Amino acid sequence: MNKRSLTLTGAAIVAVAATAGAFAFLHEPTLDAPAVDAIAVLDANGKRIGDYRIPADNTIAAEPNADAIRLGQRLLNETARLLPANVGNGLNCNSCHMAQGKLSDANPYINTTNSYPSFNPRANREVDLTMRINGCFQRSMNGKPLGTDSTEMHAMLAYMDWLRQGVAKGDKTAVRNAGPIDESLVPDPERGRTIYAAQCASCHGAHGQGMKDQAGDYIFPPLWGDESLNIGAGLARTYKAAQFVKYAMPPAMHLEAPLGAGGVLSDQDAVDVAEFFTHMPRPDFAGKVNDWKGVKKPKDARY
Amino acid sequence: MERVVKLLLKLAFAGVCGLGLSYAIAISTPYWFKPKTEASVDSTDATLIRQGEYLAHAGDCIACHTAPGGKPFAGGLGMQTPMGTIYSTNITPEKDTGIGGYSYGDFERAVRKGVRPDGTHLYPAMPYVSYAVVRDDDIKALYAYFMSSVPAVRQDNQPTTMPWPLSMRWPLAYWQLAFAQPRHFTTTVTDAQLERGAYLVEGLAHCGACHTPRGIAFQETALADGANSRFLSGSVLEGWYAKNLRGEDTGLSTWTTAEIVDFLKTGRNDKTAAFGSMSDVVEHSTQHLSNEDLTAIATYLKSLKARDGRSPTWQPKEDITTAALKAGDYSAPGATSYVEHCAICHRMDGKGAPRIYPALAGNSMVFADDPSSLIQVTLAGGRMPKTPHDTMAFTMPGFASLTNREVADVLNFIRNGWGNHGSEISEADISRMRHEIERKPKHYVPGEQK
Repeated sequence: MNKRSLTLTGAAIVAVAATAGAFAFLHEPTLDAPAVDAIAVLDANGKRIGDYRIPADNTIAAEPNADAIRLGQRLLNETARLLPANVGNGLNCNSCHMAQGKLSDANPYINTTNSYPSFNPRANREVDLTMRINGCFQRSMNGKPLGTDSTEMHAMLAYMDWLRQGVAKGDKTAVRNAGPIDESLVPDPERGRTIYAAQCASCHGAHGQGMKDQAGDYIFPPLWGDESLNIGAGLARTYKAAQFVKYAMPPAMHLEAPLGAGGVLSDQDAVDVAEFFTHMPRPDFAGKVNDWKGVKKPKDARY
Repeated sequence: MERVVKLLLKLAFAGVCGLGLSYAIAISTPYWFKPKTEASVDSTDATLIRQGEYLAHAGDCIACHTAPGGKPFAGGLGMQTPMGTIYSTNITPEKDTGIGGYSYGDFERAVRKGVRPDGTHLYPAMPYVSYAVVRDDDIKALYAYFMSSVPAVRQDNQPTTMPWPLSMRWPLAYWQLAFAQPRHFTTTVTDAQLERGAYLVEGLAHCGACHTPRGIAFQETALADGANSRFLSGSVLEGWYAKNLRGEDTGLSTWTTAEIVDFLKTGRNDKTAAFGSMSDVVEHSTQHLSNEDLTAIATYLKSLKARDGRSPTWQPKEDITTAALKAGDYSAPGATSYVEHCAICHRMDGKGAPRIYPALAGNSMVFADDPSSLIQVTLAGGRMPKTPHDTMAFTMPGFASLTNREVADVLNFIRNGWGNHGSEISEADISRMRHEIERKPKHYVPGEQK
């Protein structure tokens, strides 16, 4: 081998090594999202029998009843705007069922289909899901029931049914509707008023009036007054409201998706602020005469 | 063969001599290129100390010289560079580990010239290139404040994680010779307010350290507004794009002076909010500045002209997004994810909620030239600064749980929705940012040493 070819060979080896080295140094493998968290599916005895994963909305398109699911999603998100004849105030279903009913401790719809029909203590009888939804329309949304067989009602049911992802009736996922709160705590509404001013009023307004966008739709729902939920609503009760406030409010407080919600207030804070805002003036509920008949009322019942 | 060996030996000898000479010149620069200037400063003068405290806010010393959870000014904050992590140093007046032994001349030379009392050259992570224009009186006030009023903390400085030979500091002398000439503040503006604004922006506030593009040697490509118009035209650091601040389309053309002042004072305005590194800047620095100084800064920024070929105004497209979303048309790529994850706060109309949730429509961060900040805040989340002006400081949660495809789609939807328009973001861009976030440096926060 002559000198020239030796030099060329050497140069070629160096060039290959340098290229390979640069590639190894600069090339990064593709990083993508971690696998979706598995949530346990439990049978009636609490035994884990499988996994559930919260579905992404872009999988709706593949469903045979995609249109109904999509309509249900819209109605639950934008109830006041889309169903003005049925909603009597400024609230949407998802004002309380946050993140489209996909968030633990914020009244998720994940187990809803599988939870009905069931015995409702307030009504002292068995109610089905349609009746339960219409209870929300008449109480939390201070309005009128949807037709039981209407397109809109079926759409809402379709969304909730899609969300369970085939978890069989009788089974449930290990998702919590609401977190625990110490109900032995005695509420202090005056302390609650101070907490409200500091931690809630930025969004819900100094007078509980909520905040509207330029089109007149509510960004943040009113917490009392004519445009808020009536006294027949579950969230008009101190300890139920406190559960929601502690775990789902305020949003945008930390970095955890989907909402960065909750974890700011102590049980006492939540009970105090819940007592304060639930007992501010709000619409009455004519149907209250039929509630709690023949059953023991919870201590925070409004009537 | 013998001749080759001889030649190689000669070359090696010349190399060693050259290296030795380079080294000798480098370590001599503190004596002739950046000599000390002593002066007497009364570190008990209360007025001077107060002035120094204000200027320390303007210079945002605390943000870099304090690790998250660490003691103020004790250093330990890790700064990510391509070669490794650099740690900020202890600048409390502690004798052994801090700057307690510094004379005024030592202090002045470190701050304005980037040289430690022992002759070590400082990394340009310390913005001495900007601080070079700070006037003597202001440096004296800073010295009085640091020596008298900052609590001394005994905390050792951390070595960089750069491997040898990158960890050698003497080559920085040549970087300083090339890019950090001692200089004074000069300006062509005659208006007192504009001059004050330029002095703060170029100097203590060191806006250019993040907002001016850097060259191949990490040098800022402009230190003041001038012929090349690169000053404050936007740059990326640690995966955050410090936005274009010039008076052009994607720059500050859509911001009024009052909106800039509001943003710097409170970390937000009706349209947008600070996050990422700028959140720290507002929290530690700009919220403490007087309205006069903030107005001067904003007025000066608004005076920066558009670059050649760039429009001085922003031309939005027609908004067809709001109507489509409200009608339930989620057919655009990314629209479904937008409604699922974003619309609850940023809303169907992309306008958010004033001072609570930033607007996406017409937000110059969203249609920025470089989408890095948009990508990073979406993956990792962000926090507004805390200031006394608002009772609540909000966060944006991180959506690293979405796939690269979903994030790219939803960001392209946002970047081109409601009249916005911007370059396309790819899945590879999202993957790159995930790496960037994984590489974030660890900070050093010790228990105090005895």
